[in-house]
Amino acid sequence: MTTFLRIWRTGFKNIFRNAWLSTAATAIMVITILIMTFFAFSTIFVRTQLAQVRGKIDLSIFLSDDATQKQIQDLQTKINGINNVSAVTFVSKGDALKKLENSSAEGKKLAKSAEDIGNPLPASFEVKLVNIDSIGQINSTIRSLEEAKIITDTSFDNRDDNRRGVVENVISISNSVSKIGLILSVLFLIIALLIIFNTIRMAIFTRREEVEIMKLVGATKWFVRGPFLVEGTLYGVFGALISLAIIIPFTRAVSPFLTSKLGAGPTLDYFASHFFLLAGGMFAIGIFIGVVSSWLALIRYLKV
Amino acid sequence: MYANKTVALSGVSLHINPKEFVTIVGSSGAGKSTLIRLLIKEEVPTSGKIIVGSIDYDTIDKANIPHLRRRIGVVFQDFKLLPNLTVYENVAFALEVSGVKSKEIKRAVPKILQLVGLSEKMHNYPSELSGGEKQRTAIARALVRNPKILIADEPTGNLDPKNSWDIIELLLKINRFGTTVLLTTHNKEIVDALKKRVITINRGRVVKDEKVGKYSL
Repeated sequence: MTTFLRIWRTGFKNIFRNAWLSTAATAIMVITILIMTFFAFSTIFVRTQLAQVRGKIDLSIFLSDDATQKQIQDLQTKINGINNVSAVTFVSKGDALKKLENSSAEGKKLAKSAEDIGNPLPASFEVKLVNIDSIGQINSTIRSLEEAKIITDTSFDNRDDNRRGVVENVISISNSVSKIGLILSVLFLIIALLIIFNTIRMAIFTRREEVEIMKLVGATKWFVRGPFLVEGTLYGVFGALISLAIIIPFTRAVSPFLTSKLGAGPTLDYFASHFFLLAGGMFAIGIFIGVVSSWLALIRYLKV
Repeated sequence: MYANKTVALSGVSLHINPKEFVTIVGSSGAGKSTLIRLLIKEEVPTSGKIIVGSIDYDTIDKANIPHLRRRIGVVFQDFKLLPNLTVYENVAFALEVSGVKSKEIKRAVPKILQLVGLSEKMHNYPSELSGGEKQRTAIARALVRNPKILIADEPTGNLDPKNSWDIIELLLKINRFGTTVLLTTHNKEIVDALKKRVITINRGRVVKDEKVGKYSL
C-alpha cells in the first residue's frame, strides 16, 4: 500500500518536474483525441444520414385492380409471414390518390387530373424490411408466392422507377462506409499509439540514467515502471479533459451551422444523449494510449 | 565475460572477512569494476562462485536481484544521484524502494545526513552541490539501509585531495561502526596512508594480497 501510494506520488511529481515533456506529450494526446473524436463524429454522422435514407426505402407491391378483398388479405398475411419483413401496410387506390395529393403542389395537380380520368393509381402494399440488404431476395420471395398473381409490379422490379439502382447504391455505400470507418479507426489508433509511444520514449530516453540508477539502488521493475505508467495515465486524463474543454464550446458554437447546413441535428442529438459514453471513451482512449505506449517504451530499459 | 570474448577477470579467489576494510587497486581496465559489477549482479560470471554472507549468487533469480542490491550499499565514482530529487529525497529513495514506512524514513534520513555532514544541504538538488557533497549524499544513500557491506567504486575519482580525504575518513568511520568496506581506488597516497589490507589486480588476476599493503603496480 505504501509502495502503491509512493508510485502515484512519484508519477505526479515527475509530471511537474519534467514540465516540457509533459506538455508535449499532453499536447499530442489532445490532438490525437480530438482527431479521433472528429472521426467518430463523421462516421456517426454519415451513418445516421444513411440510416435515415435506408429507413425511407421500402418495397412497394402494386396490385391489380381486379384483385378481390380476399385475395388481397391472403397475400398480406403471407407477406407478413416472411422472415425479415417488419410491417405490411395496405394502401388502397383512394389512399394512393390522397398521398399524391398531399405530396406537393405538383402532386395536387396530378391527383386532380388523375381523379378526372377515374383514378388510374393502383392499390399497393408498402412492405417495411428489418434489413434493407435483403430487399432483392424478399422481392423474389413475394413474387414466387402462390397468391402473387394479383401483383402487377413491384418498386424493385420497375426499371422506370429506378429505385432498384438507388437501393443498391445505398446498400453498397453504407456497407463501405462502415468498413472504411472501421479500418480508418484502427489505423488512427495505431498512428496515435506510435506518436505517443515515441514521445514517451523520448521522455524516458532523457531519463534512462534515472532508470539505471533506480535499478542499481535496488528498485524492483514495478517500482521503476509504476511512476511512468502513472504519468502515461495522467497524460491520457489531462488529454481527455483538455479535449473536452475544447470540444464542448466548439460544438456549441458550430451546432447551428451543422444543423441547418448539413442536417447534422440527429448526430448532435446522438452525441448529446451519449455524452457520458463519449467522454468515457475519450478518457479510455487517452489512458489506453498513455499506458500501453509507456509500457512499450520502458521494455528495453528495464532489462536487468 | 564480454561478447567479444575478452576476459576481464580470471582465477580471482578472494575471501573478505566481516568488518574488514579492503582496498582494491589496479590500473584502469584491470578488472576492478568488473569485480564490483559481479558483486551487485550486474554481471554474471561465466564460471566460478560468488557467496556474500550466506547468499550464493547462483541461487538468486532475476526477480530477487533488487533485494540483493538493497543489502549491499554501493557508491560510484560518478555518484549516480537522481537529478530530479533533493539530497533528502535521494537518500529517502533507497528506503522507499525497500518499502520502508514513511514514518521510519522521516526518522532515519536526517540522522544519516547528519552522520555524513549534510544536514544543511538536505533540500538542495544535486546540481547545487560540490563533488564532495554529492559523494557524501551517495554514501548516505548507500548507508541508510544499514548494509553489512559498503562497496565504494573509486569514490574519490572525481574529487580534489581535500574532499577525497573527507570521503575516506567517512568510510573509515563507517567501517568502525561495523560495516565491511570494499574500496577501489587509483590514489596512491590514500592507499599508502590507510595501512589496511590491499588487494592488487592486474590484467584480471590478483597479483598481490597484503594485510597492510602499499600501492604498487
